Amino acid sequence: MLDLLHSNEEAKVLAGGQSLTSLMKLRVASPQALVDINGLEELSYIREESGMIGIGALVRHDQLARDNLIRKHMPLLSDAAGVIADQQVRNRGTMGGSLAHADPAADLPTAFTAVNATVITASVNGSRSIEMGDFFRDYFTTSLGHDEIIKQVRVMIPTSKYGNAYQKLSKGHNDFAIVAVAVQLIVDKDQVCNSANVVLGGVAPTPVHARETEKLLKGSRLDNDVIERSAQKASEGLKPPSDIRASAEYRLKMARRLTQRTVTHSVQRIQGGA
Amino acid sequence: MAKECEITTTINGKRYQRRVEARRLLVDFLRDELGLTGTHIGCDTGHCGACTVMLNGVTVKSCLLFAVQANNATIKTIEGVADEGQLHPLQVAFLEQNALQCGYCTPGMILSSMFLLQRNANPNEEEIKRSIEGNLCRCTGYLNIVKAVKAASKASKKQT
Repeated sequence: MLDLLHSNEEAKVLAGGQSLTSLMKLRVASPQALVDINGLEELSYIREESGMIGIGALVRHDQLARDNLIRKHMPLLSDAAGVIADQQVRNRGTMGGSLAHADPAADLPTAFTAVNATVITASVNGSRSIEMGDFFRDYFTTSLGHDEIIKQVRVMIPTSKYGNAYQKLSKGHNDFAIVAVAVQLIVDKDQVCNSANVVLGGVAPTPVHARETEKLLKGSRLDNDVIERSAQKASEGLKPPSDIRASAEYRLKMARRLTQRTVTHSVQRIQGGA
Repeated sequence: MAKECEITTTINGKRYQRRVEARRLLVDFLRDELGLTGTHIGCDTGHCGACTVMLNGVTVKSCLLFAVQANNATIKTIEGVADEGQLHPLQVAFLEQNALQCGYCTPGMILSSMFLLQRNANPNEEEIKRSIEGNLCRCTGYLNIVKAVKAASKASKKQT
């Protein structure tokens, strides 16, 4: 299979096909050949491996949304996968496909960025690992080579107390995000935040960290006042697009509001809430 | 470049072996080659859900799959929902609750609702609505569709 990809530069990988097939119908994509990887059933696992969760590339969104291990350790992934499109798409679309497609308004890229996930790839030249921060390059562009597939994504389970959450604002329950926010907060034994990831989706060509928000949260006790003040910084430096879904101004405002909500939700989860 | 592949697939309990063009969509294969025209084409862009079928036990949009991907698969279409002429409780409920007007979305609605009831025999209204998010009805008949799914879940419970 990897040989096929390697020897055919114009070939595209077909996983769930919930984006690629549509793009082909619209003649936006016209690959000379498709390499269907749905037969690689060994890539459909979700398992815990030495302090990490390993997720096979062919895990379907519905599986990711409902998996008990994910719900327990990485509920933001369950949040994100559960609001992708509709049931039929979640039954077929895959995690690896969604990341490789790199739609800036998609749910999983933003969520995986907030938990510092690592992408493990495979090609005829062997395997390499790519940090999520280096994976997305631009609109629909990743650092994957043309002959390289995603094999697995790994997510570390933090060793001290943590909480994470994903929320999106969209037209209807399950459209692409106008703005999406993914958060992971880690606290020490005194409940002081020592790591804060706040990542926004739908507002830039790739998922982006709200650095000013993260700076304010880090080193603080996570009370409502800190959350509110840090959320006000979430839109700093952003130049979101105006499009059919929302104006740039609305996106900026909602980025702040949704950040406040999602950080609050993550804090509730540190404290054991759902 | 019309490359053809041989596929074997089981649809509504019947085995089919056919040569198909590699680029042929599953929905076109079902309708044009097998004559199973109960699976509808609404938008042909993966939005409307009229082409929903069960593939290996889960609902998918057959306009977003190639027929060759159904090789060795088990498929259920609307034609396979009734059991030897006996309507499925969902079909009965759709009739009784007037859950269709033009009927174009109905096969997809029934399959999506079947998938819901397989997982959750007693869904609430919110769960029913979420389960048919991927199925558009343009006669604005959602109210009665939700009622019908509720009625079917009650009817199935009485039976068992």
